[in-house]
Amino acid sequence: MRQIAIYGKGGIGKSTIAANLCMALRERGLGVMQVGCDPKRDSTRTLTGGRLIPTVLETYREHLKLGRDQYAISLEDIVFQGHRGVYCVESGGPEPGIGCAGRGVLTAMQILRDLKAFDIYGVDVVVYDVLGDVVCGGFAQPIREGYAREIYLLCSGAFMSIYAANNIAKAIRRLSRRGETGLAGVICNSSGDEQFEKVVLSQFAEAMGSKLVHLIPRSPVIQSCEVENKTVLEHSPQSQEAEAFRELARRVMDNDRPVIPRPIEELSDLEAMYREHLAK
Amino acid sequence: MTETEELMRATAQRCHDPYLRCALYGAAQTALGVTGCCVLAHSPQGCYLLVDAAFGWQDADYTETLILSTKLCEDEIVHGGEELLARTILEAQELGVSILFVLTSCGPEIVGDDIVAVCEDMRPQVDFEIVPIECAGFRGDQNDGTDIALDAMLKKLTVRGRQKIPGSVCLIAPHANSNPTWMGDLAWVKEILRQMGAKVLATLTHDTRINEFEDVASAEGCIVLTHDAGQKAADYLAQEFGTEQLCKGMPLPVGFTNTRRWLMELGKGLGAQDVAERLAAEGGKMVVEQCRRKGLEQFFMHRAPAAIVADATVGIPLLRFITEDLEMIPHLLCLRSCQAESGEILKRELEELALSPKVIYDADVYQSKLALAEVKPEVVFGSNIERHAVEELDIPFVFRLVNPISRFRMVNREYFGYVGMLNLIEFIQNDWLDRYRSTQRRYKARW
Repeated sequence: MRQIAIYGKGGIGKSTIAANLCMALRERGLGVMQVGCDPKRDSTRTLTGGRLIPTVLETYREHLKLGRDQYAISLEDIVFQGHRGVYCVESGGPEPGIGCAGRGVLTAMQILRDLKAFDIYGVDVVVYDVLGDVVCGGFAQPIREGYAREIYLLCSGAFMSIYAANNIAKAIRRLSRRGETGLAGVICNSSGDEQFEKVVLSQFAEAMGSKLVHLIPRSPVIQSCEVENKTVLEHSPQSQEAEAFRELARRVMDNDRPVIPRPIEELSDLEAMYREHLAK
Repeated sequence: MTETEELMRATAQRCHDPYLRCALYGAAQTALGVTGCCVLAHSPQGCYLLVDAAFGWQDADYTETLILSTKLCEDEIVHGGEELLARTILEAQELGVSILFVLTSCGPEIVGDDIVAVCEDMRPQVDFEIVPIECAGFRGDQNDGTDIALDAMLKKLTVRGRQKIPGSVCLIAPHANSNPTWMGDLAWVKEILRQMGAKVLATLTHDTRINEFEDVASAEGCIVLTHDAGQKAADYLAQEFGTEQLCKGMPLPVGFTNTRRWLMELGKGLGAQDVAERLAAEGGKMVVEQCRRKGLEQFFMHRAPAAIVADATVGIPLLRFITEDLEMIPHLLCLRSCQAESGEILKRELEELALSPKVIYDADVYQSKLALAEVKPEVVFGSNIERHAVEELDIPFVFRLVNPISRFRMVNREYFGYVGMLNLIEFIQNDWLDRYRSTQRRYKARW
């Protein structure tokens, strides 16, 4: 089973890319599950037609209140089939401003493991959509506990997204010492200037010992699909954008050698690299 | 290598093997000194054990004092435990509680439980006072916990605008040390104050009634009965209520000189110099007579190189006691803790005594052991920990005077004052005689 995680700066489009990637992988005949690792629970929204599915943690809480443990949870209560049979799970988490979301994500994953969800549903690829930056140890749990083996960093051409990706790479480097986890590559979710993004992200990825896996173009089609609560592959299967996601899925499946990244240590070096291409 | 890098390397290489427990423990010790209280640990069950240990330190009574825990589990760490805390406070209502101290451990503070807000919300629904104390273990050691708890209690429970009562004092943090005789010492201090005509309005905390907190503002003076904590509380009382701190900046009354100086200073502060003179004269005479009659000379230790490994409360006054009264030469002083004020006292003592031993502040067990191996004293004043730590070192005597201590059970004896001095001499004498029980120690003892 391939276990893929997508990390990146908040608002960069992780859920959109993850959902479309899952659809494209499903088209290839694979058993696919998307696990949203965000208390906002909206990761799988486009796979479920806009429905916010019940989360693992809220279901678990209900059972706890009745004095039951996680084994009392039925998989049907937490795993839902989205479009074309993509399995959807939302970890859920605490209300804003209290509790530990990172620990919540780990708890949800442990419940999935304890209930043998991946085996029972015959999942070939799990895609973890992890929230924002690795702001604390809790959000690194999918990596640390070995749930996510292949990490993709999602970036645009904006400097801060590269900065965030570099920070996440530092966490991956730290945590990859524990197992087989590594950086599988950089994915670009274009913000418009594709030429610039290709060059700068290729250099950034290479500097870390990795590669730019693919670039998803900026497109109003993707945005309208979001509003319609559909993935691009469902809403506009013949579009160029759908093809881009299919190509991403192909490249992800072919790319099975994650590396221990070498993030750029100094902010000034990262700035210099970016500035160099910006001037051109 | 830069200075910062060297420091970082040294820190990384250090093995931390602390003598002291965390802030939660110190706060629990302080809260449990209040008679008839209920202490609610907002914590997982492991941390709750610290509260249980603190219960023993205060000799609290199970028939009067309650300890509860919210027993946090994973769900409360993920979603926060405020709801559970609120429910538990409501349940405490059924237990007939008079005052509830809510203490936090690390977990709930990390995940952002706002216990102050919860306590405020719950207060109108219950008929007892609630005092939230944010004392997560990561906030510091047990002495910091004592300071945190005293701060919370004084700010919450003290009644302002009270008239000062002439000749009244409050006693601060008698429990905050590793002195196994602290209750005996407290009793001695109270007796001395009684003889000097002073009235103890509040003891913060041991067998403390809730209304003692209300009276704190009326006290003219305060005495901090430890060198390890409590100074912040004394400063607060001075600032808020103009309470004068008595015997400030001097070692606690252990040994001849320290006891005499402390008594004279106290007498001066309370306008009872004549009583102080009399107590010092009578006490000194009693000790000399006892030593003469019972043969309690410590001749075998004359000029022996010695080490003290203790908290500041015992360690600092012991320095003069073993130098002047026992005529040893201190070569090493490892203090388990040290507040800035205590550091100043120690500095003055070393200057007055013209001593220059190796001094380690905030020592942990590992540092103490390394220092003992380096200094190689013949006598160590310490605890059971040092007794074991020196097994492989060629150090024949370890006199166990501070906790953890397994040899003696202290019930109501003291180290303070003249009888306290005899108690110390008695321990040393007995341990010295004990060497005949061990072949190894007998031959290692060279005097």
